[in-house]
Amino acid sequence: MDADTREGAKGMQMSGRGAGKLGRVGFGLAAAGITAILVVHWMMAFWVPTEAAQGVVQRIFYIHVPAAWTTFVAVGLAALASLAFLWLEDERWDATAVAAAEGALVFGAIMLLTGPLWGRIAWGTYWTWEPRLTLTLLMWFMYVGYFLVRESVASPARARRFASVVAVIGSLNIPLIHVSPDWFPSLHPQAVVIKPDGPDLPADMLITLLTSLAGFTMLFFGLFTLRYAIIILHRQRRIGAPSRLATGH
Amino acid sequence: MTSLRWIGLIAMKDLRQEFRSGGRVIAMLAFAVLACFLFSFSLDRSRVDGLDVAAGLLWLTVLFSSIAGAGRTFDAEEDDGAFRHLLLAPVSRHAIYLGKTVANLVLVCLVAALAAAALTIFFGIAEPGSAAHHASVLFPGAIGLAAAGTFFGLISRHSTLGDSLLPVLTLPVLAPLISLGATASSRVFLGRPWAEIGGSVRLLWAIAIGLVVVGSLLFRYITEE
Repeated sequence: MDADTREGAKGMQMSGRGAGKLGRVGFGLAAAGITAILVVHWMMAFWVPTEAAQGVVQRIFYIHVPAAWTTFVAVGLAALASLAFLWLEDERWDATAVAAAEGALVFGAIMLLTGPLWGRIAWGTYWTWEPRLTLTLLMWFMYVGYFLVRESVASPARARRFASVVAVIGSLNIPLIHVSPDWFPSLHPQAVVIKPDGPDLPADMLITLLTSLAGFTMLFFGLFTLRYAIIILHRQRRIGAPSRLATGH
Repeated sequence: MTSLRWIGLIAMKDLRQEFRSGGRVIAMLAFAVLACFLFSFSLDRSRVDGLDVAAGLLWLTVLFSSIAGAGRTFDAEEDDGAFRHLLLAPVSRHAIYLGKTVANLVLVCLVAALAAAALTIFFGIAEPGSAAHHASVLFPGAIGLAAAGTFFGLISRHSTLGDSLLPVLTLPVLAPLISLGATASSRVFLGRPWAEIGGSVRLLWAIAIGLVVVGSLLFRYITEE
């Protein structure tokens, strides 16, 4: 067993039964999330009223905002797990970071695709170089770099450390992204839900948004849990410690 | 021996090595001049005023030249195993990182000075603004470029993607620095008063110091064997 494999074995004690349980939890959460998102689509089409100023295009808000929320949850989780991995060198934290970073890429892509579609009608342009959009795009590219580092560094132990560092650096602009519409007034709307004086959305719009937020969050944590279990099982198999789930015992 | 002395010794060692071999320094400077030369005739000068685009082109030239150079920061030492010995020496990782960053900073400053002169000549800019103001804007930018380049240079050195990985990692980190720097330099080229430039320069310093601190704190994690 070489040094990389020995290091990879650290923290790989999850049993196959544990992985199976995690997998079922993940599957359940993902299914609940997809169901909630389907309900949100029905609410967007038939229930929630059309916003007076922007018209029908405003309905993309119920997808864009939850996708953005989920992206930042995923990036925050990936960064915290990466910090924990750098500190404790426990493999499970690295698996947590990878599963969260995959979510950050996927939900970030949804956010970056729906934003311009909304902006084209609301602002008259697909893209504008304002701080929140720019910083979010840059953060997303840092997470592209995270996976490039993981895949392109030959030593697995070194790849994990390098990628963890990239994840930490990539998350440093989350606070800036959050405050940028207040610090640098621009076309991007300011917060309408998380405000000191409470949300200023009509009740039916708020219910639709909160349902969508719950759906996206459950979908993310469902996929995250499934991926975490798969990564752990995959690594157990690689280091020659087949789990009970894999052997059927 | 104090950390400051180690930083100075490592920086001097790297610079002596660079100037003796000459390869990386010449490549970076040649790249900067050639990029400015290409910019000067790739733009339709009858429609584009040199003053309008000089700042953006200056920062892009310095950025790309720095990235090209940063990718080679650790090459010589990694190839002959000297870097591993440096890590075994009783020197803090902060000092190693800062020493290498200082050495890279000297090279980036040389590139910036040469690129500014080349752009002024190739674009025929008669009044390019105060040299002191240009230096005040470019220096914190060069610190940021050197800090990020040194840090990510080591990561890309161990990647099979090599130099193609370096821009993917550095450009997202450096984009705010380049944006602010180009805005400030543009005002210097236009001869605007310092009051209109000072705010951007303060932000440039904040980003540059932030990059040095983060790089310094995280460097030990990318040098563990």
